[in-house]
Amino acid sequence: MTPSRPAAMDAWPPAWLAARAGLLAFGLLIAILAGAVSADEPALAALLKTLDLRGYTSRTAPPQFSGSTLDARQLSMTEYRGTVMVLTFWASWCLECRVDMPALERLQREFSSRGLAIIGVNAQENKEAVRRYAKELGLRFPLVLDRDGKINALYGVIGLPTTFIVGRDGRAIAFAIGPRQWESAPARALIETLLAEPAPGATPR
Amino acid sequence: MARKASYKSFEDLGIQNLGASANLTFSQQTFAESLKLPYPLLSDFPDRKLMRSYGVFNEKTMTAHRSFFLIDPQGIIRKKWMVENGGTTVVYSDTLLRDIREVLAKR
Repeated sequence: MTPSRPAAMDAWPPAWLAARAGLLAFGLLIAILAGAVSADEPALAALLKTLDLRGYTSRTAPPQFSGSTLDARQLSMTEYRGTVMVLTFWASWCLECRVDMPALERLQREFSSRGLAIIGVNAQENKEAVRRYAKELGLRFPLVLDRDGKINALYGVIGLPTTFIVGRDGRAIAFAIGPRQWESAPARALIETLLAEPAPGATPR
Repeated sequence: MARKASYKSFEDLGIQNLGASANLTFSQQTFAESLKLPYPLLSDFPDRKLMRSYGVFNEKTMTAHRSFFLIDPQGIIRKKWMVENGGTTVVYSDTLLRDIREVLAKR
């Protein structure tokens, strides 16, 4: 394997296939991979279902990353602890992202004062392409550059857009492969629900 | 993914497919959902024990050689495929299925 290959590609050749004859139950493994929203959050689960978002188990922590933003700032995910994060992976050539990104920008303007943080992670494009795109669509939320694709690989992103939602306590709530109606009533209800959750360190209700 | 499309052919032969990589479970979950994979993925992160025990881990590049193993119900490896060209050659399900049928016919 050549070192010049993008990290996202490097990450996957190690995938093997172990073929196993006979009847073995892998139900447990499947359950872990599929994830499930804990049963005590039926309202949240219903919203995720309506929005076609895949929920995580309550203990799933998203991988931590840091990267350089379009405005040359070093952004670390840890800075956002206590906020509701929407982490969206995108590229300027991604047609469906062109609908998602301005919608997320409007949500950012509406909810940021209450603790919503939208962060875009670009897929291996150069700074100029990202700058043009941000200007064209009027995006003001942070756009992280991922020239070598390391953050994309860390999150297992292979299709765009892919969007992750993280709660105030830092746990991964749900993700979506493909575009969603981010300004719809259920999406707003989901944001409101997550914003209403206590931030870490806050006294539990 | 060819393997996804021909998953039923593997099932019909009584084969359970498993994918393994040194990626985080989190990353694998996104990957599996993106491709709608019908079989489980196993995370060999961080110690890469599985890859090492199968002898396909390259300590220098910290990557595994792309490979396939056919394991029988007694846990014995009946066949292995090491992907050529440093793991970049596409392995088609038809090739795997043909070889598996051959192995099964000999039993």
